[in-house]
Amino acid sequence: MALRVSKVPGIGLMKGMWLTLRTLFKRPVTINYPKEKEIPVPRARGVIALDTEACTVCMLCARECPDWCIYIEGHKELQPPSKPGGRPRSRATLDRFDIDYALCMYCGICVEVCPFDALFWSPEYEYSEGSISAMLHDKERLTDWLATVPAPPPLEKN
Amino acid sequence: MTDQHLLAMHHSEVQVSVELETPDVTLNLGPQHPSTHGVLRLIAKVDGEVINEVEPVIGYMHRGYEKLAEVRTYPQIVALVSRIDWVSGYASEVPLMVAVERLMDIVPPDRAQYIRLVLTEMARISSHLVFLSSYPLELGAPTPLMHALRERERILDLIEMVTGGRFHPNFNRVGGVKPAAGAGSNQKKVVQDLPEGFLGQTLAAIQDVVGVCDDMEDLVLGNEIFLERTKGVGIIPVDKALAYGVSGPNLRASGVRFDIRKTDDYLPYDGFDFDIPAGENGDCFDRYWVRLQEIREASKIIRQAVETMPSGDLQAKVPRIIKVPKGEVYVRAENPKGEMGYHVVSEGGRGPYRLKIRSASFSNLSVLPWLLKGQLVPDIIAILGSLDFVLGDVDR
Repeated sequence: MALRVSKVPGIGLMKGMWLTLRTLFKRPVTINYPKEKEIPVPRARGVIALDTEACTVCMLCARECPDWCIYIEGHKELQPPSKPGGRPRSRATLDRFDIDYALCMYCGICVEVCPFDALFWSPEYEYSEGSISAMLHDKERLTDWLATVPAPPPLEKN
Repeated sequence: MTDQHLLAMHHSEVQVSVELETPDVTLNLGPQHPSTHGVLRLIAKVDGEVINEVEPVIGYMHRGYEKLAEVRTYPQIVALVSRIDWVSGYASEVPLMVAVERLMDIVPPDRAQYIRLVLTEMARISSHLVFLSSYPLELGAPTPLMHALRERERILDLIEMVTGGRFHPNFNRVGGVKPAAGAGSNQKKVVQDLPEGFLGQTLAAIQDVVGVCDDMEDLVLGNEIFLERTKGVGIIPVDKALAYGVSGPNLRASGVRFDIRKTDDYLPYDGFDFDIPAGENGDCFDRYWVRLQEIREASKIIRQAVETMPSGDLQAKVPRIIKVPKGEVYVRAENPKGEMGYHVVSEGGRGPYRLKIRSASFSNLSVLPWLLKGQLVPDIIAILGSLDFVLGDVDR
């Protein structure tokens, strides 16, 4: 058990003061939060954005969610046939898509299982609320986050 | 002291000839105490300054993860287990995934194993840096905290850069690694590999981590107050450590060179060159010293892994719906706190029939009633802090 400790008296104090001196002229690593903001990395899991056009109400995200914080309702609508004389086609329409961020544990399983690329992570984090019920983001609010989704980061050479 | 004694004292102010007997005083520490690392309650029976008996009361943070796991699928449990020990969340995910992979006979690709290994060692560094900084803080030295947490933040930023989460990465999948975090449209067509610049920044960060280890050694280990409060305090002899199931750095501080990274093969550690630091006396000082050295060893492992990072896939071929065949397996891993084990019992479904979690902090804490007996009250915090437990890991 070799220690980097000197037997000479005063050396420890000198070392401590040297560390103080070195740190004194460094720029602070903390930032002045509300005035300055640090930019999160592109993969940061801040908030989930929804692309309603891509969603087909398949409910996979709601089923795979570990704490079941996604609420989805939808109905089938009959579309006019693509060709005259054809069969009318039914299309699923999204009525309600709510994510309760008070329950969400930001695991990202919903984003991962979505087969139609309708859910995305956005690194935005400033959406705290005074009331817990306001943490339930509805379809419109989730769609608004879509503009904040960044491009994927370039990858390391594999 | 009886009433007669009090009366005697009252009447004779000049001299009290009766022998004073003090009854044991019950001293409650916690559950809300700043230096108990969470909600731990200690009921101490003290006679003056000497502790006669200590009873730790745990369970304030019981979240029932073993039961929650029974009604969830394996990919969902990964998101849960990183919350057991939140100081090193990534390290808890790996043994669970290895257990599921062993039941399914899947071997993850080399690159996935190396990424797991690098991130596990990063989690070890971040956990040990919390200990190295908070332990002097508990003994009254707030300066080391600033230096250690500055470097820890860089490690956490690197973990976030890859996984998208600082504390709860949820990065492991059955058969490899796959970030749930994605970005940009059509993200599923983009391979979620290591982001550009990660390997270079890792090498720079661990160099600074080793630098801060040197600073900590200069600042703390030679400090006379620190030596007085930790040398020879809270000695756990080898036989007691083994009897109570103490594991990890606490066991190695007692002089046992036992490391699951060397004995088991849950991650490819056998190709790496690193030592197992061990203490001599098993006191608080040795526990601090062992963790300081372990950061250096972890830095060595990360450097070797980054330099020899293989290329290839990130995930083995796995079925779309993960169904684990019937059977049971126990996989243990060397977590920063000690031995972390998962006993997975599968009945062939999408989730486990039973998941037993052996967490390190629980066994490490169990030595406390024996260890604190006969110690002095001011040493409670010194001994408690040196065991380095996380209450989430104790209660699960």
